[in-house]
Amino acid sequence: MTNLFSVLALVLVSLTTMLIAFYGLRLSRTTSDFYVASRTVRPWWNASAIGGEYLSAASFLGVAGLIVLSGQSGLWFPIGYTAGYLMLLLFVAAPLRRSQAYTIPDFAQIRFEDSIMLRKITTYLVVIICWLYIVPQMHGAALTLSIATGLPGWIGPLIVAAVVCLTVVSGGMRSVTFVQAFQYWFKLAALVIPTLFVLFQVLPEYSVPERAAAVAGQLESISSMSLYETISIILALLFGTLGLPHVLVRFYTNPTGHAARTTTAIVLCLLSVFYLLPTTLGVLGILYTKDLSASNADATILLLPQSVFDGILADLLTAVVVGGAFAAFLSTTSGLAVSLAGALSQEFFNGTVRGFRISTVLATAIPVVVALLTSSLALAGAIGNVFAFTASTICPLLLLGIWWRSLTARGAIAGMLAGAASCGLALLGSSMMPHNDSFWVLMLRQPAAWSVPLAFVVMILVSKRSKRKIPTNVERVMALLHVPERSYK
Amino acid sequence: MSEPLGRFAQQRPQRVRVQAPQDASLNIPATQPEQSAENFYVRQLIRSQLRLAMAVAAGLLIMLVGISAILAFWPVVSQIMLFNIPLPWWILGVGIYPLIIIAGMLYNRTAARNERRYRSISR
Repeated sequence: MTNLFSVLALVLVSLTTMLIAFYGLRLSRTTSDFYVASRTVRPWWNASAIGGEYLSAASFLGVAGLIVLSGQSGLWFPIGYTAGYLMLLLFVAAPLRRSQAYTIPDFAQIRFEDSIMLRKITTYLVVIICWLYIVPQMHGAALTLSIATGLPGWIGPLIVAAVVCLTVVSGGMRSVTFVQAFQYWFKLAALVIPTLFVLFQVLPEYSVPERAAAVAGQLESISSMSLYETISIILALLFGTLGLPHVLVRFYTNPTGHAARTTTAIVLCLLSVFYLLPTTLGVLGILYTKDLSASNADATILLLPQSVFDGILADLLTAVVVGGAFAAFLSTTSGLAVSLAGALSQEFFNGTVRGFRISTVLATAIPVVVALLTSSLALAGAIGNVFAFTASTICPLLLLGIWWRSLTARGAIAGMLAGAASCGLALLGSSMMPHNDSFWVLMLRQPAAWSVPLAFVVMILVSKRSKRKIPTNVERVMALLHVPERSYK
Repeated sequence: MSEPLGRFAQQRPQRVRVQAPQDASLNIPATQPEQSAENFYVRQLIRSQLRLAMAVAAGLLIMLVGISAILAFWPVVSQIMLFNIPLPWWILGVGIYPLIIIAGMLYNRTAARNERRYRSISR
């Protein structure tokens, strides 16, 4: 069933994104030095931009999909994504803004001037995390395209990669907070509209008491996750958000550490409002969408309009969702591509502009290839794994680096390697093992509950063994991170 | 009579000046000692901010893990209905978010207060 409206929505979103990016770039070149401008971005704009970048395929499609698959347990994912932002606010937002670091490798270098090794390892980890995070976006694009338009799925990732490459290579995405901010409100609208339509259509049914009483049975019929799994996912999401490379860049556009905190608090509100929608749609999906299985549960939101409505209204609502979904793929992927290309060009091309462009192509092309070769897991689950990996590697570096003056470069390296190895091997191992629910398999499938503490413990113990290597400038760096700026009243 | 006093007064600053170069043979970075009062306040600021962040984070973790444990060990909660939807769905789907926002706002207020206190003490 080729849906003309969906194709149109897709083209429209892609074109608008590119136009705003190009136009915004010209604007910032002609008006004023955009570095100065970008440091005075207002908290509300900045918060919308962060929301726009953060709400990826996993949030837009994956949350409803997981609710359909694992019922009540699926609700933990949006809670984790939001609460992770609270953790970011508590431990990272203001100090990181004051550190003058653009990226996580920058932070590693500011904290440990002498350790080139630490900077390199951090860079490699950032590259891995970005790639792992982009792949599910590409899977989402393939799924959306094949379900909504009937076109072959592989075109979806190609479109996303092409649009992202064009906007990032032109330099557009870097300066334009505006595009990301716009994407948040667009994604919100793209879920509000179908949610309201569906609710108005179906709510009258529930004036019949028997029908209403059946809802609980339908909701509770889905088996939920075990307690260990739930706690491990909560830990992964809480601590993983701290280290997401594309999120940290955004804090630099706040004028002060204090403004960074205000921004983060607004982001909490924006995320909370947003997640009510995929949650509602997930519940409606359980009640109305037929024939959902593990392979197509992520398409719940795309299929729901057709399950409730017929004809042109169904097509139009689907098109709105398709537009929002592509906005989600584009904004998250471009944010990640900028971080990734920055890290790659710094590491392998001496940070030249040409190097940045080559890196951008690499940054998007490799995930496309990986996405086409692999099949899609549950989107929110795949992203959950990336969070577990980030929580076991970058998170201890940031938390201990910001708050513990006795951290040494050697300790940081040992901890990150221990976390990366244990979490990475566990996830790889579990993907090769047959799917069963014995406790040991669960431990491998959701490693965060043990791999995050392990990384912290290794980092602390090795630092204590190498006390002499504590950087001599640690007092000054700590003061830089924590002392409020002069401009602050 | 005033001569010895004058000579004494002249000598006093010399003593202080002489002591510093003698001690400098120790291998301490030159910037540290003069900032030590400042460093003390910075350490205090960091400690109070960390204590605050830890308290909020611990509250959050206890709340989330506690709720998941209650739901796992005490499934009776699922039989309580609100508008025909089981109570856990309301708690997880809607109820937790306002708590997260409130925690964030309270934290912001207190963290800013800590910074103001530091500013007023340090200069």
